[in-house]
Amino acid sequence: MRISIQHLTKIFPSRTKGGKEVHAVEDMCIEIPSGKLVGLLGPSGCGKSTTLFMLSGLENPTSGKILFDDQDVTTLAAEKRGIGLVFQNYALYPHMTVQQNIRFPLDNMRIKKEEGNARALDAARLVQIEDLMSRKPNELSGGQQQRVAIARALVKMPNVLLLDEPLSNLDARLRLQTREEIKRIQRETGITTVFVTHDQEEAMSICDIMVVMKLGVVQQIGEPQSIYDDPNNLFVANFLGTPPINIFKGRIEGGKVYVGQEAIGETSYDDREVYVGIRPEGFVYDAHGAFTLGVDHIEVMGRDKSVVALHESSTKPTVRCIIDSDVVLPHEATQLRFNIKPYKLFLFDAETEERLK
Amino acid sequence: MKFRNRKPKEVEADLVLNDGVQLSRKEKFLRAFKEQSGWLFVAPAVILMLIFTAYPIVSAFINAFKQDLRMTSLGVTGQPMYNGWGFDNFVRVLKGDTGTGGANFLQCLINTLVFTFVSVPLSTLLALLISVALNSIKAVQKAYQTILFLPYLTNSLAMGAVFATFFKIVGTQSSPDTVGIVNLVLGWFGISPIDWMGLQSPAWQLGSLSIPWAKYIVVIVYEIWSGLPFKILILFSALQSVNKQYYDAARIDGASRNTILWKITAPMISPQISYLLVTGIMGGMKQYSAIIGLFDDTMGHDYDVGTIVGYIYQYLDSSYTGYAFAASLILFAIIMVITAINLRVSNKRVSY
Repeated sequence: MRISIQHLTKIFPSRTKGGKEVHAVEDMCIEIPSGKLVGLLGPSGCGKSTTLFMLSGLENPTSGKILFDDQDVTTLAAEKRGIGLVFQNYALYPHMTVQQNIRFPLDNMRIKKEEGNARALDAARLVQIEDLMSRKPNELSGGQQQRVAIARALVKMPNVLLLDEPLSNLDARLRLQTREEIKRIQRETGITTVFVTHDQEEAMSICDIMVVMKLGVVQQIGEPQSIYDDPNNLFVANFLGTPPINIFKGRIEGGKVYVGQEAIGETSYDDREVYVGIRPEGFVYDAHGAFTLGVDHIEVMGRDKSVVALHESSTKPTVRCIIDSDVVLPHEATQLRFNIKPYKLFLFDAETEERLK
Repeated sequence: MKFRNRKPKEVEADLVLNDGVQLSRKEKFLRAFKEQSGWLFVAPAVILMLIFTAYPIVSAFINAFKQDLRMTSLGVTGQPMYNGWGFDNFVRVLKGDTGTGGANFLQCLINTLVFTFVSVPLSTLLALLISVALNSIKAVQKAYQTILFLPYLTNSLAMGAVFATFFKIVGTQSSPDTVGIVNLVLGWFGISPIDWMGLQSPAWQLGSLSIPWAKYIVVIVYEIWSGLPFKILILFSALQSVNKQYYDAARIDGASRNTILWKITAPMISPQISYLLVTGIMGGMKQYSAIIGLFDDTMGHDYDVGTIVGYIYQYLDSSYTGYAFAASLILFAIIMVITAINLRVSNKRVSY
């Protein structure tokens, strides 16, 4: 099912009289093609869960429209939208067995018992919990509960599957496994899926389309790689990538990009103050390179090594440069010189923080 | 009783000391005292329980088996006189053959069972519905909460007197041609006044027993009403602690209001519901003051709405105290059996 979000806005009135109202989501416009896995990404409080709940029908938008295919569902009740929702803490009914939990949506649709059981079993097989059908939720591990919640959302064959922070309650290893699992289930069922996360790595790894949000405003929409390679602004560049991008205070002078006294790149923009963002993988060691960094220490990771460096113009305490492990660095150097890969260097206007493309 | 949670250090010291070194008598005493000192801390509670719980229970057990026990006539030793041991008291109580007139045990038992097993489930159900309604409103919730809790603060004898006025067939002494408020309302629907509580109160005859249904209705209405506040308090606070997300999930799953109430809400607060039923039934079986409040100490017409505890009090008051002891033991056994069944059922049905 195609989802079209048009000028969606949600304003929560202030709790106290005369206080400020909260603009949780502002003028959001997204087109989601059918069958895609979409990630809403942003720091906490950026309105991504609110967006999800508006899609589900649990929250009503202040203004704007939501279309499923061509049907306007903006004011349609949650139960009539044909969506499946997986809650952050799963919300499994503790007094029901796994089977009863999964069958619950079908019981409400007055589907016959045999058919209901068969469909519940199919859904359980899809998420590989068919052996746990007679257990109660509190007898399951976090990962198993997660699967039950997904099975319950899938059993009624929803048009849209919504997941609220699906991986945040799982431990690191299970998180990796489950995100592959979600991708697999989404591929197998072909259901248009929207999920919310604050973890950029998670979003990057499984999304077809990623929506980056900040304070209720969409910053950028696109494929994960293209957003990473071509961020719209300083926030997006900063939010994506581990280790994060290095940001320096710099300036443009006569077509050259200066950080401190060194010209490290070229640009066609006019002279101005800028933020210079350099991805950690954008540094190339060169004994006669353009950019000099003071070395703090070097971390060897096996596959590569990262030079943890210092620079007085850096906006962060340290600068991180990732270089191939076979590059030989001078022994016990206190300073290293680098050249910068031009496509890993981004310039942002110092005032608007918008990217100078 | 040895207290085992001594600090490891002390235990270690003990081991060293036991290893050969001879202890003086004083040291031995101090150590023994230390080991037993836990008793001192539980002593106040234990002493009070021995006096006010254990002694009466044991005493009731013993006295119930004394035949012809007369508390009012003392023998040469200054102790009440009795005529040997046996089950005479129990047989006479159960047969209704006490030879003194007054309340009939079987009548009181039936009354008590009817009052308890009609009013407790009904008032719990009503409390559940009211709590759910209260939980779903936002405006003036606090005010409603207060109003609903007020009856709990009221004395049960006073409430009984007020209820008696509601159900009276004649109004007040100064205006005897009026009727009580219940009959007044019934009158609007063309129903002629019923003598709910008086001598003309309608009743069915069941062998030698009577089923005064009109009085039953009065008692049951009263008990439901007086039981509500506490039940609402418990259930309402239980509802407030249910995670709202379950309701969101149920809405997404397309559950109707009815389904949500019976399949989600009720099971979620089933521990509290079970608690109310178990304690409610126990309390109901021991009902007494409400009957006195409503019907005075004759407990209706010739004890026809008497309860078991009412029966016990009546004989406790008279010189035939043995019957009271026997009846209280029978009541004890009945409550124990009912509670055991209750707990067994709730273990199966309640999910914690």
